[in-house]
Amino acid sequence: MLSLYSVAYDLISIPLTAIAAHLPAPLSAWLVNTTLLNVLGALVFCAILLGASMINTIMLIWFERKMLGRFMDRRGAMHVGFAGLLQNFADGLKLFRKNTRRPKDADFVGFYAAPTAYMVSSLVMFAILPVSTGWSAGALPLSLLLALVVFSFAPLFIFLSAWSSANKYSLLGGMRSAAQMIAYEVPILLAVVAVVVLSGSFDLTTIVYEQQNYWFWAPLFLALIVFVAGMLAEMERIPFDLPEAEAELVEGWNTEFGGMLFAFFMLADYVRALVGCFLIVLLFLGGWTMPGWVPASATSFPLAGIFWFMLKTYLVFGVFIWIRASLPRVRTDQLLRVGWMRMVPLSLLSIVLAVAVVLTKCLPVIGCVPGIGGG
Amino acid sequence: MSEMWINMGPQHPMTHGLWNLRVKIDGEIVVDVDAEMGYLHRGIEKISEDRHYNEVITLMDRCCYVAGMAWEHLYILAAEEALHVTVPERALYIRVMSEEFQRVASHLMWYAAFVQDIGLLTPFLYGMRDRDLILDLFQSYTGGRMTYEYMRVGGVRNDMPPGFTDRARKLCTWLIDRFKEYDTLCLASTIFHKRCDNIGVLKAAACRKHGVTGPMLRSAGVKADIRKDRPYAAYDRVEFDVPVQQDADVTARYLIRMEEMRQSIRIIRQTLDWLDAHPGPVIAPQLPRWLGAPYAPIGNEGYLLKRNYPHGLGFSAIEEPHGEALAYLVNDGGEHPYRVKFKSPVFANISAVREYVVGYHVADIPPIMGSVDICVGEVDR
Amino acid sequence: MVGEDIGERLAGHWGTDRLHIEPFPGTAGKVRFDPALVLDVLRVMRDELQFAHLAMVAGIDWEKHREVLYALWSDERKQYILLSADIPAEAAHIESASSIYPSANWHEREAWELVGITFDHHPDLRHLLTPDGYKFHPLLRSFKLHEPETLEVKRRDV
Repeated sequence: MLSLYSVAYDLISIPLTAIAAHLPAPLSAWLVNTTLLNVLGALVFCAILLGASMINTIMLIWFERKMLGRFMDRRGAMHVGFAGLLQNFADGLKLFRKNTRRPKDADFVGFYAAPTAYMVSSLVMFAILPVSTGWSAGALPLSLLLALVVFSFAPLFIFLSAWSSANKYSLLGGMRSAAQMIAYEVPILLAVVAVVVLSGSFDLTTIVYEQQNYWFWAPLFLALIVFVAGMLAEMERIPFDLPEAEAELVEGWNTEFGGMLFAFFMLADYVRALVGCFLIVLLFLGGWTMPGWVPASATSFPLAGIFWFMLKTYLVFGVFIWIRASLPRVRTDQLLRVGWMRMVPLSLLSIVLAVAVVLTKCLPVIGCVPGIGGG
Repeated sequence: MSEMWINMGPQHPMTHGLWNLRVKIDGEIVVDVDAEMGYLHRGIEKISEDRHYNEVITLMDRCCYVAGMAWEHLYILAAEEALHVTVPERALYIRVMSEEFQRVASHLMWYAAFVQDIGLLTPFLYGMRDRDLILDLFQSYTGGRMTYEYMRVGGVRNDMPPGFTDRARKLCTWLIDRFKEYDTLCLASTIFHKRCDNIGVLKAAACRKHGVTGPMLRSAGVKADIRKDRPYAAYDRVEFDVPVQQDADVTARYLIRMEEMRQSIRIIRQTLDWLDAHPGPVIAPQLPRWLGAPYAPIGNEGYLLKRNYPHGLGFSAIEEPHGEALAYLVNDGGEHPYRVKFKSPVFANISAVREYVVGYHVADIPPIMGSVDICVGEVDR
Repeated sequence: MVGEDIGERLAGHWGTDRLHIEPFPGTAGKVRFDPALVLDVLRVMRDELQFAHLAMVAGIDWEKHREVLYALWSDERKQYILLSADIPAEAAHIESASSIYPSANWHEREAWELVGITFDHHPDLRHLLTPDGYKFHPLLRSFKLHEPETLEVKRRDV
């Protein structure tokens, strides 16, 4: 089967072997050595992964701008490139050329390290999440757990950036952010437990294969609601964007960041949004698999898995944009109350439901079929 | 965390203008506030003492840049009283129509700013879009979109262009339809009610004590509207209701303004019918020469003549979109007003800020101050 | 349309030599009173004559003296009434109305900084519109807008 790593390995090994054929023996032996080829192949693999994920992130921003524009009775970006496709690249270039200024009292290490760490911790997610068969770096048996751990680094870096920029707005925003993310980690993890109970595995690839018969959103609808709400809070999007509530806290924890540092935060936010959509698709919407009634021709062309996966991802993100366009922002205390008093019980209930499905091997709509709830 | 002061302003998304709300917070709770004004003080009252009577109108548009017509009207009423000028009836109706369109435009601006304060992005653009249509209408008969210089001592500058009333009626129908959409976007949302119910409460007695007027007062159950209580221009000849709410919170102010816009449309429709049926002059024919011919550009040489005209005092009160606005004008027989004093409703409403902000959350400040509808231009003048 | 009962009530309190009421179009009248009576007059206005709302406090500079003008509104009567007190320019002092009408607070701050009228026992007499420490009173007639200005233009050597 074609995997991304084999493609990357071929990309580097074929030209190197060709060059080595024209070189004297000791040099060519050194060049076409398996260790070197593997290391270079891994690097190319990373480059492809990074490039693909960054382009996707930027497309996500474009998608949001266009869709928000339509919701708001305007057109969104439309001048740079076809339908404004290149607008975000231009914006990125602009931000890249801008001066970054550090306030006098800001802590040097924290101020520069926090955006970088935030960005890196978000990007690492792409190496963990399997977009399609053969896409992931390696089959990790606990990839779901690893993904959630990496995903929950963010409050730490946000708080670090807020604390080190020596600004009261940033500090308030950072505190809110930390409180909010910690409050919503719990229901997210509990909702994931329901998925794990149903699939019997912490491996994302296995979880997707378990969904070949039926997608998990049907038995775990409650968990899906909790997970989506929690993801909205983790992504800090409306209605839960109060750490950067622009009405009262200017820009919240990234008030003091400008130029490329701001671009890092902004981009990492969308990386996290993309990752959140990935997780929803992987855990509840069947990943890259399609239900049996879809004709085989639609699922068997090259890269069909990636195509369906990305389509689902963008649809999920479209729902998030829709939510953003139509809901106001909640208040901190209301957010925390909803998190602890509504989301946590709901997610506990969804675990109970998942256990019931596993024990009875029956589903509400589909009925009792063998293969349900069996790990 | 102990208490600390933070500055919300002078450049802050909440302020909608240029002022500074110093907020003392304990965690997320507001314990004290202090408003600092004056960032937009242009000395309009002083400059007026150095301008001819019709030239002050230009300044009035800058007084409140989202309610220029209302402020022109306020000044014109005081000036006409001080100068003993009578106005043709058609001009009165045109003024009423202009002021009501301005009220809708101002409330739409408020709506856009307010929903953005609570994080609603879409209605912000809807409000701005529909306000722009009103500005287009203003442009068609005054030439200006925000600063009109349209009213004159003794009438208004010019009559409506042909076909104006039909266009205005069409716009009224469009706006009435849009108001339903606005209500759906806000009132149907649970989060909106969670954010806006029972915050920024200022009861009727406290409103009167602290001089708070306008929608804030009416949201506390007081049926006070100068258009009804002390009618000016042609307001005694049009039918409309004064909306009243009892809750005195942010939602109540929202409902008041929404209903006011509907009532304004109702007034506009009546004035349009009247204007269609009664053609006539729009400016007093026998104006003293130093007030300028109706179409003369402001600043023509006629002003420079020495004049010998009776002294007078003018006092006027109008229901501006934000509340009760007063003007007091002293005419000492000179070419310029001797003294003009304007009382802005927002000035009084902000002065009571401690009464309706302290005790709520920091996150409540934007909706509360948004519901006050602040226009710093008329506070600082 | 002078409110008859207003004139009688006020005359009953202080007679007509320290206070009299004159007609003013569009309002219940203009009451001119001795500045020493300000708190008493305002208290009677609020408690006995139902003028619950202080809408405006204005200062007017008449060069020889300064006038303090209060505009009150009554919900019951649906009328404004103007109160006016003349104070000498060299001792421009008057008692603050803030204790009776809290809404006077900012209006008096404004009149203090712009017209130079000091309000005694004001709770918070700070600059409102002008910067702290600004020592002019712009709305006095002696503050000219067109003072001849000398502008020094320095030539920059290139």
